[in-house]
Amino acid sequence: MLELRELQGAFAAHLKGEDRPDLTEAVVGDTISAAARLRIHRHHVGQSLVGALASTFPTVQAIVGEAFFRALAEGFILRELPAQPVLAEYGAGLPAYVSEYGPAAALPYLADMAQLDWALNLAFHAPLEDRLTASGLAGLPAERLFDLKPALAAGSTLLRSPYPIDRIWHASQPGATVGTVSLEEGPASVLILRRPDDAAFASLDTVEEIFLAALVEGSSLGEAAEAAVSVEPAVDPSRILGRLLALEAFAALQHSS
Amino acid sequence: MQPVAGIGLRSPHLAEIARDRPATGFLEIHAENYLGNSPAHRIVERLREDYEFSVHAVGLSLGSVDGLDEAHLDRVVALIHRLEPTLVSDHLSWSLADGRYFNDLLPLPYTEEALQVVERNVHHLQERLGRRVLVENPSCYLAFAHSTLSEPEFLAELTRRTGCGLLLDANNIVVTAHNLRLDARAWLQGLPPAAIGQYHLAGHAVNDADGEPVLIDDHGSRVGEGVWSLFGEIVRRYGPRPTLVEWDTDLPALDVLLDEARQAGRALGVEAEANARAA
Repeated sequence: MLELRELQGAFAAHLKGEDRPDLTEAVVGDTISAAARLRIHRHHVGQSLVGALASTFPTVQAIVGEAFFRALAEGFILRELPAQPVLAEYGAGLPAYVSEYGPAAALPYLADMAQLDWALNLAFHAPLEDRLTASGLAGLPAERLFDLKPALAAGSTLLRSPYPIDRIWHASQPGATVGTVSLEEGPASVLILRRPDDAAFASLDTVEEIFLAALVEGSSLGEAAEAAVSVEPAVDPSRILGRLLALEAFAALQHSS
Repeated sequence: MQPVAGIGLRSPHLAEIARDRPATGFLEIHAENYLGNSPAHRIVERLREDYEFSVHAVGLSLGSVDGLDEAHLDRVVALIHRLEPTLVSDHLSWSLADGRYFNDLLPLPYTEEALQVVERNVHHLQERLGRRVLVENPSCYLAFAHSTLSEPEFLAELTRRTGCGLLLDANNIVVTAHNLRLDARAWLQGLPPAAIGQYHLAGHAVNDADGEPVLIDDHGSRVGEGVWSLFGEIVRRYGPRPTLVEWDTDLPALDVLLDEARQAGRALGVEAEANARAA
């Protein structure tokens, strides 16, 4: 007779695909065998986790189709089960798994699409905080403004890809009107944000991306402006800041000083 | 809570319910879907002002030999303290082992050893929440040869040792009785009436295992006739309780779900007005 600890260990191993004769022996079989009864649970765990991953990575599934996605997800599940019961938080390792997944080698951008899906999922479940607005900065003396290090709003991700992931995302939506996307359209930078009723991303141009990346790495607004001007002398950093404020990219300033 | 019929709140219906505030006895959410900060969370907090709520957890894993996952428990406790639902429940099952979560309600052997594990976990949960919880009978697809208690005996003893209540799922009784060759009506005998705090109703699917039909608790259709019939028997035997119609896969239009809940309300024998308090 299996003690409960051994039984749960054996059951867990069975669910991960192992053959466990000790578990099969502990289960009552009749005209439906113990093995067939146990398979109902293995099947349910697999199916339900594939479904959870499909909800979290809808763009990946739209690109590769249901059957391909199922095989990919089943491989990932065998390697990495959820560590806790909130399924919306399961799948952080899927983009890395996709990048090594042999059958997807012909789709070099697929791992980046998985990263975009994951970032949108993170943003969707992030708290909706107050954002920094232009009026929140009005009245600050220039030196204070230059020294300011605004933080991205909770749940935001800045994502860079050598592929046009923004165009691919739009082309993969149900009822998309974008036609074919050429990988020659080149790299893309997107900022993923929690919005009041959903999560969304905005495409950034090269200078905006350099400016924002500097802030993400801890630079001040003044340093970020210098970084932007150094690659594009004609750029107006206040235009970039204005766009990021309009996107509500930053958390409101803490009222500490 | 009055013994009224309510519905499960599922995200595809959220906007419609928030806009129309349909009449139904209460709303039930799955705890694990509301532990983050998605936009749905804010809608639920607003709905809470107009509806009574039941919080149904699916991932506490009351049967885990290693005890409850404290990090997860902290989040569930915080949700329940914020929402102050009328009812709180989870299942007689386990889903966590060695730090891995298996998204299923996995079966326990009904032994004294397992009873002590569940007893410890339910005690701890009720202490953390500062309130009584309801424990639901699961859908069973297998039985363990070394079980020494029947499922109802196990549940009755659990309520005696912990003071917890019971959530009787009529669909799960039908599914379990079919799959384990038990008599559903005999299953009902000997439960402690005062412990029964809620009923669940749902549809199930019929699949094939070794060439034989096996019932699968998929919450993907209208409540079947066999389940309605057993539910009538439950209400006659134990009286009306708050009753939830669960529907999780192949979700129908909200009207269909509300219609099922109205039928449940009629089976409870309560007046239509009692089911329409939130109108």
